[in-house]
Amino acid sequence: MARPRSFDEGVVVDAATRCFTELGYAATSVDDLVSATGLHRGSLYGAFGSKRGLFLAALARHTPLLSWGTEDDDGDRALDLLLVAALELAPHDDAVRDIVRDACARLGPRAAGVLGQRLLDRARLDGDPPDGLPATTTPVPPAPTPAATRRT
Amino acid sequence: MARITVSDSNLEVRLTGLDAVWAMRRRLVVPLSAVRGATADPGAAAEPKGVRAPGLHLPGVAAVGTFHRGGAKTLYAVHSGRRTVVVQLEPGADTAGFARVVVEVPDPRMAVDDVNRALSIGR
Repeated sequence: MARPRSFDEGVVVDAATRCFTELGYAATSVDDLVSATGLHRGSLYGAFGSKRGLFLAALARHTPLLSWGTEDDDGDRALDLLLVAALELAPHDDAVRDIVRDACARLGPRAAGVLGQRLLDRARLDGDPPDGLPATTTPVPPAPTPAATRRT
Repeated sequence: MARITVSDSNLEVRLTGLDAVWAMRRRLVVPLSAVRGATADPGAAAEPKGVRAPGLHLPGVAAVGTFHRGGAKTLYAVHSGRRTVVVQLEPGADTAGFARVVVEVPDPRMAVDDVNRALSIGR
């Protein structure tokens, strides 16, 4: 007989979300989740079943908030989680792929742009070309190198 | 070492070699409907395990057998702990009362993917 839960699931899922978005899914160990959430290992497994179960709970909590034009910390956190889901789980996990697809549908036709911009922002790149360069630069072909003279 | 295999409707955990002797159990078969998920979790091998009955417990060396802690019954088969997989169950008659399986397998990542893929298809 399972004991009643004595923790706030939202607080636990938010703490886990921070781990997943900062470290990535694969690199987040259950030890990381145990220390971030303050729960015992047994309680974590009892409540969520697995690390994947906790990740799904995080997606379910944060991605429905996403919609076109969301620009705040909650929106960024949801986008980060979506990026992790798309990069690490969606290629081989049907359930996660469906969630990513739904979230992209909510973001509308600009989904790719929004996700790409968030990726650059996370990397501390603003997405604009560096100063002094026109927006579209045609790459200059390298000068043809003279044929190497072979010494014998 | 243990092996985890997933069929259409069941998950089977097989204990190999002396583990089966110490645990007094060669295998545990549970329906997938009673499986909640699998996680590669090396840290789980170092957790307090509770009271063993029956089994072998040499702290830091090996834990093999049935352990009871906090009202939950767990099947352990861990040695170094590096390749530990945790399978969380819905304890009941069809899991022989086990709430969790904590075993070392040759390829934890593959075992975890197999189990979770079967669950995501079945639901």
